[in-house]
Formats: sequence, structure tokens, C-alpha cells
Amino acid sequence: MKKTLICLKVNNKEYEVAVEPNKTLADLIRYDLGLTGTKKGCDMGECGSCTVILDGKPVNSCLVLALQAADREIQTVEGLESEEGLHPLQEAFVEHGAIQCGFCTSGMLLSAKDLLEKKPNPDEAEIRRAISGNLCRCTGYQKIVEAIGSAGERMTEKGGKS
Amino acid sequence: MVLPKFQYHEPKNLGEACEIIAGLKENARPLAGGTDLLVNMKKGSISPKHVISLSKLEELKVLGIKNKHLNIGSCVTAAELAESTIVQHDFGALCAGAGNLGSPLIRNLATIGGNLISARPAADLPPSLMAYGGKAVLVKKGGQRSVDLKAFFKGLGETVAEPDEILSHIHLDMPPSYSGGGYMKLGKRNALEISIVNVAAFIALDSPDGAIRDVRIVLGSVGPVPLRAENAEKTLKGEVPGPSLFIKAGEAASRECKPIDDFRGSAWYRREMVAELTRRALTMAFIEAKARELRRWK
Repeated sequence: MKKTLICLKVNNKEYEVAVEPNKTLADLIRYDLGLTGTKKGCDMGECGSCTVILDGKPVNSCLVLALQAADREIQTVEGLESEEGLHPLQEAFVEHGAIQCGFCTSGMLLSAKDLLEKKPNPDEAEIRRAISGNLCRCTGYQKIVEAIGSAGERMTEKGGKS
Repeated sequence: MVLPKFQYHEPKNLGEACEIIAGLKENARPLAGGTDLLVNMKKGSISPKHVISLSKLEELKVLGIKNKHLNIGSCVTAAELAESTIVQHDFGALCAGAGNLGSPLIRNLATIGGNLISARPAADLPPSLMAYGGKAVLVKKGGQRSVDLKAFFKGLGETVAEPDEILSHIHLDMPPSYSGGGYMKLGKRNALEISIVNVAAFIALDSPDGAIRDVRIVLGSVGPVPLRAENAEKTLKGEVPGPSLFIKAGEAASRECKPIDDFRGSAWYRREMVAELTRRALTMAFIEAKARELRRWK
């Protein structure tokens, strides 16, 4: 299969990669770029472990072709941390014990980040709806929901830093 | 899971896309959101030799009023529909369908065109689009046609779209005064759910407290294609809306559908739920008709 050279920006870093048409964005991120924070669970768009933010919107990267990501901006869980340290959401997940096996965590964080950007002080129902495409098979939802709520509060106090 | 091999095309405009598909026909599949096509390709149920991405076709991403109808490009996503003010205010049933589709992650990818072309019996958008009397515009090299959505679905996964045609737009007439729509979906969970039964209803009244002038009820998940409940519609036409009338219409809808038993629910249960969901969808439509009038005078 003929490979095509594409450019894309992942976590503010430019990449140039040659990809086959049948490669998904999830595989490109994990195997070509080595960013293994993005997980692959069902590979069918149902579990949300492959969630990335594509041009500002969280999507299942297993349902996007790598070629479709050409010239677009992607954020993965590796892009959450800044020079100042962990993202408030990551801090809150650690403090609330919202991580068990960790497989769903990167997707949960990115869906939550999108929610808090749209709605800094979500109620519980809004949080549950926002992460409804991310499955946690350890069933640690309660602590995840609490962590997202507390991160929202913390970010509002800090003046909406995300 | 590995996607089968295929050749990828990325036309820059609709004309170019039609040109490519005209030469490939059955060997090619247009790719919109990918939430059905790529899953089916991974499962191996289809393996087109050519995939034509529609993602660069800006003309298919429009959403706005044009000549007194709502013009929706086929690549508008479910999330964009659910967040659109026009859809929220004037097409409540469509807004509810789009806001309930899949999950937030899926809604950012899945498109209205894909939801129609996939023609799944339990799909979230077809009942509402049919209840609003929607039309699909199919474009091919050297021509285009408009098809009433009532005649669009042929069977499970089958539509009237020919292999060389691309679904480009969906047109919905702007709902008249004193009219509204409602959508009800029954599933076992709130996200990533395939409906057990889904119902959309649209009613238009003569005057704020008048009789029902026009009505459309569409039942999903009770047959291979969405079903217009025409007997139920007949019980409503010309009558003054109210709770007892809506119960009667629900019972009529329940009698005219022929659902099957499967692991999601028995045929008996589905029929019972058609009666109740039809009643609720009609009630929602009636409430929306009142709410739209209030907004108009504000």
C-alpha cells in the first residue's frame, strides 16, 4: 500500500509521518509517535480509552484515519502536563484516588478537560454525561466524578487556567 | 483490529467527489464520520477497495436557513446539530435525537448523512427527520435529485441512494406557527445505547387552542425501516389535542407496528412501549408547539 507523507501537530509539536491509508489515528499516535498514553481498548468506538482532542473536540482516535488527521491539531494525555507540573485535573485524580488500573484514565482526563473548558462548574449530572463515552471497568466512577468536580472548582479559583 | 487495505481519495469539492465515485461505483464508499463505516470495515462486513473521504468538502458542512427551509449538509455532526440554536428552538425532536446519539465522543464524529445512509433500524436521527417531513438531496456526476425521506429507506442497511450518488444535504421545511416535535428513546442505559424503541412525533395546530391540522408519527426499532404510524395519525387529524386523545393515538400506533423478539426486548414489550412512547412524544410535541409560540412573542 502506498504511504502518504502527512504533517500534523501533536501536543504543540510538529510531526511529519508517512502513513498507510488503513492506519488509524490511534495506531499512528501509539506506534509511530510512541505516545502510548493513548490506549486502545475495544477499537470500535465504544470504550473511549483512545480519546484524543482533535481540533478542540474529544473523539475516539480508533475511528479516525491517520490520513484524516493531516494538517490538524491533536492533544493527547501527554500534552496535559505543563512546565508548572500536572494539570489540575491530573492532580485531582491523584488526590481523589480516581485511578485504579489506569487504562481509562487518559480518556477520562481528556473528556473532562473538554467539559471544564465549556462549563467550569458542572453539576454531577453534567460530569456523568460528559464521560458517558468513557468506560471504566474497575467501576471507579464515583471517585472520577468527584475528582472532576473538584478540579473544576480549583481551576475556577485559579482563574480558569486549563 | 486491522482495517482492510484500500485506496484513499480526498476530493477538494463535491464535483470532484462525484467524478471519482462515478468511475468507481460499487468499489467505493464515501467516508463521512467513520463511526459506522470504519467499524464495519474492521469487523470485515464490508471492504471497499476505495474510500472517498468527504472531510474536505466544506459545502457539506453548512447548517442554516435557506429559502424557508433548514439546509443541513450531510457532514454536519450530531454534536453540531444538538448545539445549534435553530435546531434547539425549532426542531426539538431532531435536537433530542442528535443529543442522544452514541456518546459525546461519537457525536463529535458521527454525521447526519452517515446516520441516514447506514440505515440502521434503531438509528436516532431518521424518525425525527421523517417526522419533520425531511428530504434528502442525492448528487451524482451530471445531476441531482431530491427524495422524500419517507421513501428513502429500502431495508436493513439499504437506501435508494445509488452507488454513484452522494448524499449531499437534508432539507427540512421550517415548522409553521403552532407546531412542534418530540422524540423519545427507550434504552437500558443512557449512552452508547441502541434503542429498544424510539418514536418521533410532529404536530401542527390550526390555532393556539385549535385542532390538529397536520401530524406525523414515526416509529423506530420496530421493523427493518422506520415506520410512519398512519392509523395513529388518522386518529389525531382534525381533533383537539389532549391527554386522552394522545393515549388513543399511542394505542393505534401500537396496533400497526410489527416488531420482532430479540435480545433487546420482546415483540410484546416493544408494542407496549410504542403506545407509551408515542403518547409521550406527542405530549412533548404539543408542549414544544406552545413554547415556540411563546418565544415568538417574546
